[in-house]
Amino acid sequence: MAENSPARSLEMRDVFGQMLVQLGQEYHRMLVLDADLHTSSKAGYFKAAYPDRFLQIGIAEQNLFGISAGLALEGFIPFPCTFAAFATRRALDQVAISICYPGLNVKIPGSYVGLPTSQAGTSHNCIEDVSVMRSLPNMRIADPGDNADMRAIMRAAIETDGPVYFRVTRYTFPDLFGADHRFEWGKGEVLRPGNDVTLFGTGMMTAFCMKAAELLDNEGVNAEVIHLASIKPIDRELIASSAGKTGCAVTAENATIVGGFGSAVAEALAETVPIPLARIGVRDRFVTSGGIGDLFRIHGMLPEDIAKASQTVLAQKHRRKA
Amino acid sequence: MDRWTPEKKLELEEAAYQIRRLSIEMITYARWGHPGGSLSMADILAVLYFQVMDTDPQNPKWEARDRLILSKAHTSPALYAALALKGFYPLEKIYTYCEPDGLEGHTDMTRTAGIESSGGPLGMGLSVAVGCACGLRLKENPRSRVFCLLGDGELNEGNVWEAAMSAAHFHLDNLIAVVDYNKVMAKGFVWELMGIEPLVDKWAAFGWDVLEVDGHDLEALTETFYRARWTQPRGKPIVVIAHTVKGRGIEMAEFNYKWHTHAPEPEIADAMLRTLSRRYSRPELGYSKLGDEREKESFYGGE
Repeated sequence: MAENSPARSLEMRDVFGQMLVQLGQEYHRMLVLDADLHTSSKAGYFKAAYPDRFLQIGIAEQNLFGISAGLALEGFIPFPCTFAAFATRRALDQVAISICYPGLNVKIPGSYVGLPTSQAGTSHNCIEDVSVMRSLPNMRIADPGDNADMRAIMRAAIETDGPVYFRVTRYTFPDLFGADHRFEWGKGEVLRPGNDVTLFGTGMMTAFCMKAAELLDNEGVNAEVIHLASIKPIDRELIASSAGKTGCAVTAENATIVGGFGSAVAEALAETVPIPLARIGVRDRFVTSGGIGDLFRIHGMLPEDIAKASQTVLAQKHRRKA
Repeated sequence: MDRWTPEKKLELEEAAYQIRRLSIEMITYARWGHPGGSLSMADILAVLYFQVMDTDPQNPKWEARDRLILSKAHTSPALYAALALKGFYPLEKIYTYCEPDGLEGHTDMTRTAGIESSGGPLGMGLSVAVGCACGLRLKENPRSRVFCLLGDGELNEGNVWEAAMSAAHFHLDNLIAVVDYNKVMAKGFVWELMGIEPLVDKWAAFGWDVLEVDGHDLEALTETFYRARWTQPRGKPIVVIAHTVKGRGIEMAEFNYKWHTHAPEPEIADAMLRTLSRRYSRPELGYSKLGDEREKESFYGGE
């Protein structure tokens, strides 16, 4: 029976762990550092494969990032692995001054981001990581949309000199891309062309945008869906050209809407093609414990919410024209 | 490393004098900086750069060099002076201190040859040094050493002790922390703001080999650093607690927290440098830019 049942998709964190191993095979100067979370972050895959290049730092995130800076100074490519909450809140000064300021070659995966973080609750559901990291000069940021995207982003991260922050969501993603998918910094991708409204998604929310587009299709609205895994730099040209075509937009992110992805799109639009815009994400509040479905309902971040927000901005667009 | 000779003593004395002099010159000209902690670590830097550490000013990234991470990065003037005297860049460059394209207020490794890390916020340097020491191990470079110069006040920071714990855990005897124990913080004495004693016991309890030294005795510093650099390593990181005087060399600044962050007016700097030259039995020499008509807005004059 078992061999006939469809293979369950891997959780993104498993894909992350396996890709660490693959990159470790190719890049001998790559190191993985852990702060006592490797079975949760799945950095443990790397520990098993390359124990000599796995450094256990203990529960001391400021030290984790400081040591990573020192290792980068000596020519290594460290991946300090911890939860996003600790990488961005606890160790921000170390990330900013020891790593970003001199542009050191450190790759920072942020685990347990947004709503799907088991039942851990407010302290661990990191919603502000993108906003915080986005404010640091020299930092590149990506939020992968599926497993193929995760692999491509990790490859781009190690091929790019300098600090990178990327998100690892504890969630099983539907496939959006094929195995030959490529990721490029500052480049978005049109997943579904449309003329009436643009849905800008990043991370796991791009799949929700695709579902929202189906819902809108039933309502006679032809939505364009654009995946922007590269949050910094962001594809301003694509944002502006799509906005010029559709005339209204909705952003969707698995994070706070304050200062993060939606803000980045809003900034790009305000400076290029100002159009009616709605942002889907956590609305300036902390995220409590809860089941994933409940949390997405509570925070209004389901495909239905994206479709509803689309109707609102469409109405605004039509009022403007009238 | 050279042997201790009378000539060596004169050379190190001159280096220490010049580090003090140039620190005051650049802080005065920039109208910003931290004289107290620059003066207290001048002898340490003189011994490190002119006696103990292997560095190559022509090839600052020479793999076999010894590294120095300045954790107390606000006292960068003394380090900039030492690097200039060592030949990493022309002496004139010190007058670019705090200029947009010049020597950064705190350290910026991307802009200045010989600066090994970027810093400023206290408590962070020892972690970076631990990373460098681990990196040397992974690269199978057994000879190079990582020195990390810490202030006493910054030992209040928790990050220092995370780093201390990890250095002992990793048996990093290629790491030498140096505490410039000048007893004074930004706003008063260490013991009254947040005491750090018993300091020897603290480091020892964290698994370090502890050496104590008079941080203004050039011969004692040489002997202690020689030991730390060559004969002491036995699987434990080493800390040199250098007992120093904040503001050493200029009476009005000694033990005086008011000269922690304070750029002297040109006339005051002139008097300070004359005092300094007398202390070193040198021909009396004042502030070289006295009367320089440079007008510059300062936001930090009174702090």
